[in-house]
Amino acid sequence: MKAKKNIFQKHPAIGFILFGLLLALIPTLAEMGILKNGYVTTIGGTLIYAIAALGLNILLGWSGLISLGTAGFMGLAAYMSAYLTVDLNLPFEVSFFLAVLIPTLIGILVGLVSLKIEGLYLAIATLAVAEVLRKTFEELGKYTGGFSGKSADYPTLFGLFELDRTTTFYFIIFVLVIIMILTSNMMNGRLGRALNAMRGSEAAAQAMGVNLLTHRLIAFALATIFASVAGVLYVHFVKFSYPSTWSLAMSLNFLAIIIIGGLRSIYGTVLGAFIVYAVPDMFLKQIPFFEDLSYVLNGVLIILVIIFYPNGLISIGYDIRKLFRKLTKGGAKNE
Amino acid sequence: MSTFIQIILRSLETGSIYALAALGIIIIYRTSYTTNFAQGVVAMFNTFVVTFLFNKFGLPLWLAVIGGILSAILTGFLIDVLILRHTKNVSPVAKQIITLGLIMIVLGLAPIFFGVDPLRLPRLIESGDLGILGASISYNGLFNIALGLAIMTGMFYILQRTKWGLAIRTTASNEYVARLMGVPTKNVTMAAWGVAGVLGVIAGVMTAPMTSVTLNLMDEVQITALVACVLGGFQTFHGPVIGAYIMGIVRNLLLFYVSSVWGGQILYILILIFIVFRPYGLIGKKIVKKV
Repeated sequence: MKAKKNIFQKHPAIGFILFGLLLALIPTLAEMGILKNGYVTTIGGTLIYAIAALGLNILLGWSGLISLGTAGFMGLAAYMSAYLTVDLNLPFEVSFFLAVLIPTLIGILVGLVSLKIEGLYLAIATLAVAEVLRKTFEELGKYTGGFSGKSADYPTLFGLFELDRTTTFYFIIFVLVIIMILTSNMMNGRLGRALNAMRGSEAAAQAMGVNLLTHRLIAFALATIFASVAGVLYVHFVKFSYPSTWSLAMSLNFLAIIIIGGLRSIYGTVLGAFIVYAVPDMFLKQIPFFEDLSYVLNGVLIILVIIFYPNGLISIGYDIRKLFRKLTKGGAKNE
Repeated sequence: MSTFIQIILRSLETGSIYALAALGIIIIYRTSYTTNFAQGVVAMFNTFVVTFLFNKFGLPLWLAVIGGILSAILTGFLIDVLILRHTKNVSPVAKQIITLGLIMIVLGLAPIFFGVDPLRLPRLIESGDLGILGASISYNGLFNIALGLAIMTGMFYILQRTKWGLAIRTTASNEYVARLMGVPTKNVTMAAWGVAGVLGVIAGVMTAPMTSVTLNLMDEVQITALVACVLGGFQTFHGPVIGAYIMGIVRNLLLFYVSSVWGGQILYILILIFIVFRPYGLIGKKIVKKV
């Protein structure tokens, strides 16, 4: 076995930046007519979902804590940013900061609750929190527009650069790449190891000096921060937010993304987002019967992946290579 | 005073719906070790079967309900045999996620079978009100309360006094030892899924006349039932049922006396605060974890 690491393993950031540059080609390809123009919106949305899913991956993948509240927090940030920029005319940066800060504080409160309740209960508790938030979006019509929804504009950076769809798309990629690098650095460092230990055995982790309180709070805070960032980007990219968007169905989609793509895998999360959101929109709609079935397919995929392929689809390439190597080696021995 | 009695009577009716759903969830939790998030959508699916048999095939309502019960048993068995039986080596949280995947499957399939239009299902007893101390309740409501209590009594009698109940309780306390003692745990688990399906469809048929039969029919019932299980504690069979009745009553009291808009949310938040102080619910005991 070669122990030599290639450059991507040594410096994962380079890989993420290259990945971002690759994604940045999409609007150009769309202008050249190689891709459909509508794909830019689809892929932009997919990348936003990937950001929120990365947060959930830190929570579920690395720390082993389940949450069904992702959509609720994302929605809260979306409504807040829309209200702050449109109704209060605050600069985008300020509203971005506030719209991330306040959901995060609530997320930390949920983290405090999570210390008290066991794994299985946590899903129900977070579900109840998401339900409270969704009802709030419906009832606080003064701030959220109630059922008729709330609209926002493309962001204006530093009060100077008014972004349009394409430049907002670049902005999303920029944020995604930063979050990928951050996640990779944190999860490959001390924090990631501590969270891993906590998932394996709380007692053993405590014995090794991992403080459960702080690490659970950090995990919840990170998950909520990522979800809120995604929420802000969502409302300024899609430009609309309805209470029905932030339902349990969306939280389930986030779960589907990280389970199908791969737990504890950053590229896996992005792959999962493409499978759950982009593939139905871009390909399945072409086939008449499959259009209605995309939700069913995601459900079936979740169950199949959990039972038969717990590492997620991202490890398919690795497994095929291993199988191939095994086959060629076996062949060599036989000769 | 008459308003108060009126509220309590209405709460007992919704409470019995929540209690049936909660009992379904706890039976599956105790035998399969997972909180079944799909209970609500499976109940919704089978309520659609009832509505379809009633509206499209013109069957009398009681026959349609029996048809729905049969399809509920069938779907319960199918879910256990096709999916849950193959998850012996899967972690509890992953099992939960499997039931969440089931939600997606059922929600995707239901419109293909039944269309997207909301359907109507009438009450079992069409008309008639009964006055009690100045408050009134429909015969159908009374019937629902009585049916709920009767089913609950029957279930607890089976659980505590019969051989089958003993099998379920041994499987619940330790599946491995139960198997060693000759309990057919596979059949017990399968039966539990069937029973949960039946409880779900009965709750669905009770809920349906209050709104219309849509994909979201059981959402509120499902969330309330899950929270009721947390409130009552997952360690006993009767805890969630008590929790469900408490939630039914407190929700309506809050909605009437505190705020008709925020009553539901206040209840959830109160319960979240409650479980911070009593993590194992009203009746639950702390399970000592061994390292």
